[in-house]
Order: sequence, then structure tokens, then C-alpha cells
Amino acid sequence: MDIVIKTDGLYRDFKTYRRADGGWNALKGFFNRTYETRHALLPTTLSVPSGQVIGLVGANGAGKTTLLKILSGLIYPSGGSVEVLGFKPWERKSEFLRQISILLGQKAQLWFDLPAADSFSLLAEIYGLDLKMARSRWQTLAERLGCQDQLHIQLRRLSLGERMKMEIIGSLLHQPRILFLDEPTIGLDVLAQNTIRTFLFEYVRDHQPTIILTSHYMDDISSLADRLLLIGQGRMVYDGTVAGFTGFAKQNLQVDLGREDVDFEEVIHRFLQKELGSAQASRTVTT
Amino acid sequence: MTSGIEALLWMAILTGMGKTELGGFGRESYLAYALWGNFIGRVTANWMYEYMMMEDIETGRVNSILVRPISFFEFYLSQFIGYKGLILLSSIVFPIVTCSLFGAPVIWSRLPLMILGLFYYLIFCHLVSFTVASMAFYLNKAHAFTMIKNMALWIFSGELIPLDLFPEPLKSWIISLPFASAVYLPVGYVIGRVDFVTWRQGLMSVTIGILVMSVVAQQIWSRGVRQYTGTGA
Repeated sequence: MDIVIKTDGLYRDFKTYRRADGGWNALKGFFNRTYETRHALLPTTLSVPSGQVIGLVGANGAGKTTLLKILSGLIYPSGGSVEVLGFKPWERKSEFLRQISILLGQKAQLWFDLPAADSFSLLAEIYGLDLKMARSRWQTLAERLGCQDQLHIQLRRLSLGERMKMEIIGSLLHQPRILFLDEPTIGLDVLAQNTIRTFLFEYVRDHQPTIILTSHYMDDISSLADRLLLIGQGRMVYDGTVAGFTGFAKQNLQVDLGREDVDFEEVIHRFLQKELGSAQASRTVTT
Repeated sequence: MTSGIEALLWMAILTGMGKTELGGFGRESYLAYALWGNFIGRVTANWMYEYMMMEDIETGRVNSILVRPISFFEFYLSQFIGYKGLILLSSIVFPIVTCSLFGAPVIWSRLPLMILGLFYYLIFCHLVSFTVASMAFYLNKAHAFTMIKNMALWIFSGELIPLDLFPEPLKSWIISLPFASAVYLPVGYVIGRVDFVTWRQGLMSVTIGILVMSVVAQQIWSRGVRQYTGTGA
């Protein structure tokens, strides 16, 4: 099986500056700044075969989105190596961008003032797709998501769930080989979550793209992912099957990962304590 | 409205000085300059798309372009040129009709070439805006640059007063800058205040401007993207 994503010691630091409050300190900050470095992603080595669906799970600020942004070419890594479909993502070569798609659940990527259908026409133009074929594709996708009646309404007038469905259609229009989904069900009601889950399940079954999916909802992961990556404080702490981890968590940590209010950082912490002991917390567990 | 006020001001200046000419040009010439200058000044000014580009960078909306096979520069250039084309088509009637009504001097045969030159200048204009907008990668309030830039252009383009009224050597220096092709040279060319050779030299200056700004824009953009965090600057 082809390896489509390969990273070796990939990491990303963010440099931020800290200043005390008040106008005088703001002025001083122009001349004398105290910088600090935050390690958003610690050295990560990963290999993803084609067609695999990976669930990337972790608490807020764990490094999930940073990893997705590096893999999709949105941001530069601070070090290590990364190859996606044989390309260096940050070079953002057109050939590479035509084969991937990233959906950031908390950021709209379609044009707010346009009806979704117009945004899709524009995307078809950008990706060099035949408009007739693209139109039939977005209509099919909209039917499967149950939002065909909203295609000609300005995006800003749609509900969050409807907007997310349109974003999903927009990200699939060019049939990407790799799809990065960052919390696609965040903030949605249970019904919309289920619709999107079912849709993605069927899409994966029919098209077999490689997907890296991040979510706070274990249901998203368990219904779609072949493989689970657990990330905590920038470090990959588990790489194995979903069933393996949920079974382990239930049996050894007394945590039901099906619940919506699971504190993943706490689960990871307890998992590490149990499995590795705090002294060896830097190693990745593979099952 | 602005054209009217400006035209009346020139009339008042000429009457107050007790002269029929200023800098070698009569009141009809100043009337034509005021009418065409305001119109062309609106076409070649760019603050709206510059502001939108900055907003995209500041809020992280630029992500939606960065992950697609189109450059941010191209994406906005196409919108900018399209928008300016529409403005030009819909409002060129105003200077044409008013100049005809008041008998202000216009060399109609020069109009098509002048319009082509304007679109060429718009490429330079967008490059400047793109460079200014890229500052949003580094600064939170990069909008301040737009205001400073537009104030400077108001003078250097000749929108405020015709550039040939400046004393030498300032006059030659300002006319040799690419900004003169925003208002002074195209207006001067179409109303007969500037000859073809001077207008063409303006386009050469725009070409040099495009080359220089391409390098500057590329540097500022690529450094900015390198330090971009994907969540807005």
C-alpha cells in the first residue's frame, strides 16, 4: 500500500511575546520584548498509507490542528521532515493543492456573501473542473447531505449545520485524495452530527480517500476511523486501533469514551500513568 | 460634487489672480482636469480591496485561498480589475457628458489608449496594495499604512493639483514616478496637456514600478507566510 503521508521528527514551535498590562508597558514593548517559545507539536514520526482514515484526538491546544495545518501546507514546520503525496506541503505546489482538501470546522472557507452554488462554481473554476460535471457532483453531494434546497441561499443566511454541510461539499468538489477534517461536527446538534457522520461514512466507503479527522466527539472517530492517534501537549501518546483504546479506557481507566463531556487531556494523563508511568511519558504506545 | 467644487476653485483662483491662464493653461483646461481627474482618481485608487486583503490575513480567512490552487495575489487582482472595469464603464459617461456640455478640451481619439494605460497602471496599483496588505502578517493595525499611502498618492498622482504646477526640479521628479500615471498623465494626455511621448514615458515608469514592487511584494509576502500561524496574524 502507498504511503501518502510521511513525517520524521516533525515539530512546530510558536514564538509569542509577553508583556505586562498598561499603556507604558505597551510602549516599552516596542523596544524591549520578552519572547517565549511554545512547543505546539513535539517531534512526530508518522506514516499513513493510502485510503486509511485516521482519528486524531486530543484536548484543546494538544497540537491536532497544528499537525493538520502543517500537513495541508497552511503553516511551515519549525523542523523535521514531512512529505504528503510526495510533496513538501508548505511549498503549496498547485499539483499538491489539487489533491488535498482541508476543512477547518471553526473557520468558514466558502464565501459568506455568495450562495453556496456560486461558491462551488468559483471553486470549479479554481480547480479547473468542468462546470457541468462539477454541478452534477455538488448536486449529488447536496442530496446525500439533505441540503439541496439551500444551495441558492446566501451562505450567511444559513444555520451553522447547513453551512457546515456546504463547507463539506466545497471541500469534496474536486475529489481530493487526502482530506483533512478539523472538527467537522463542532457546535452542531445531534441530528446534524449524525447526518454528517453517515455522509462521511458513505463517502469513505465509495471513494476511499485518505482522511485525517480531528474531533472532540468519540462517536465521530469510532464510526469512521481505522486508526486512532492520541495527542497530548504536542506529543503523540497512542497510535493504534480505536477499539483497542476504547476497550482499554473502559476496562482500565473506567472512562466511557462514548460520552460527550470526556476530558481527553485527563484521559491521556491517566492513560500515560497507567501504561507507561510518568517517567516514560515521552514514548509513544503502539498497539 | 468634488469635481464641481474643484472646478469652481480653479475658476476662483484664476479670477482672483486676474489672469486667464495659469501655468500656460486656460480655465477650460482646468475645468477638464477637474472633471477627468476626479473620475480617474476614483478608478485608480485602491483602498477597498487592500482593506479586504488585510482583513483576510488578520482574521485567518486567507486560509481558504492558501490551500487552493490559486494565488492570493491573482485571486484579488481578478476581482480588482473586474470591479474597476465596471466602475469605468458605468461612470465614464459623467466626464464625457460634462466636458461636452461645457466645451472643455478633450482629444477623443486619445481616450481608448488612455483607458488601456489605466488598466496597465492598475496592475502596479494592486501590487502596491498587496505589499501594504502583506504588512498585516507582521502588524495588527496595518490599516494605518493604507491611509498614509492614499494621502501621499493624492498629491503624487496629481489628483490634488496638476503636477506641472510644482516648481522644478520637484515637478520633473514627481512626473517621473509611476504614481503620475494614476491621474496626471492619463488626464493630461486626454485633455491635451501632456504629449504622447510624456504619457508613454509614464508607462515605462509604471513598468519599472511593477518590476520593483514585484520583488518587494514577493519578499514581504513570503516572509509573512513563513511566520503565519494559520489563525490570523
